[in-house]
Amino acid sequence: MRRRHTLLRLTVAIVVFMSSSVGVGYAASLGLSSKKLHAWSQTLTKGTCNQTAATADDTYVQQANPTSTAGGTDTNLTVGGAAGSQDYAFIRFDLSGCGLPTTAGADSATLTVTVTTKSNDTISLFPVYSSWSSSTLNWNGLGGLTIGATATTTFVPSTPGQVTVPVTADVDAAIKAGTLWGWELRDTSGTAVSAVGSSENNASGKRPSLALGYEK
Amino acid sequence: MKRLTRIFGIALTAALVSVGVASAASLGLTSGRLDAGSATVNGCTSSSLTATRNVDNSGNVTQLNVLSVPQACAGEVLTATLENSSNASLGSSAVIVGTCTGGCTVSMTGFGTVSATNVTAYALSITE
Repeated sequence: MRRRHTLLRLTVAIVVFMSSSVGVGYAASLGLSSKKLHAWSQTLTKGTCNQTAATADDTYVQQANPTSTAGGTDTNLTVGGAAGSQDYAFIRFDLSGCGLPTTAGADSATLTVTVTTKSNDTISLFPVYSSWSSSTLNWNGLGGLTIGATATTTFVPSTPGQVTVPVTADVDAAIKAGTLWGWELRDTSGTAVSAVGSSENNASGKRPSLALGYEK
Repeated sequence: MKRLTRIFGIALTAALVSVGVASAASLGLTSGRLDAGSATVNGCTSSSLTATRNVDNSGNVTQLNVLSVPQACAGEVLTATLENSSNASLGSSAVIVGTCTGGCTVSMTGFGTVSATNVTAYALSITE
């Protein structure tokens, strides 16, 4: 009698287990058959396209000489923060030789400048979104430029020599926009005058450069 | 007693068979690669769409933009995976395609901290 009860219990347990197994199997089949799928893969090509003074354009504008374009041919770019006599520097590179479509992007980009006149003030780099040329830009022309309100990066030119700063986000956005209009360098902390070498500097090692790693 | 033994035997056999079916179904789900291949089953598009991505100043991916997604895909789930050179996933995100006029640009975020330098491919899929 006891053995009979045990067998009966076992049978009931097996039937319950079987029912739940069937349920799981049904749900799985339903999940698979209800999907409609289109899948694809996009492979990226990686490369570098470093820029030197050969593709650079730079200048500085002077509040004290608002119509001067002399900064376009100077060997150094001055940045000064004194009220009434501020100097803003501009640097850009022509990326057209890289052959990048607007669907490409920057994986990494760094700007290197060489401090030739030091100070302990902070220099901030603001992205420039509109066209300019060193041969025509002066202080009075600043109002016609579209310049980002937030600095991309900063550095303190406290020691003469090279300074490298990240500018990846700006270059990435510029590739997608089609043109890189570069940066405005502005003293945002004091009244000192500092300077970095321009693309006309006699020492090639003091000229600005841009290291670019891209994908397309 | 003999009858009960026979019933027990039948139940045990049926249970074993159903366990086999359930296991196979589970295996099919967990081992299948839904992102591989290019099978299309009445999908909203059969085209391989183009994606671009944005980065922050440290070079980390902040957003993936899938361009020209057909309007017919509205309401469907777009999944994107950032892959490295070994086809391993570096980050993944999914979003429901919204409605728009003409082709939509679908922007996706939430990939985690992924350096764009390490991303060599985008694996994308649309399911409904």
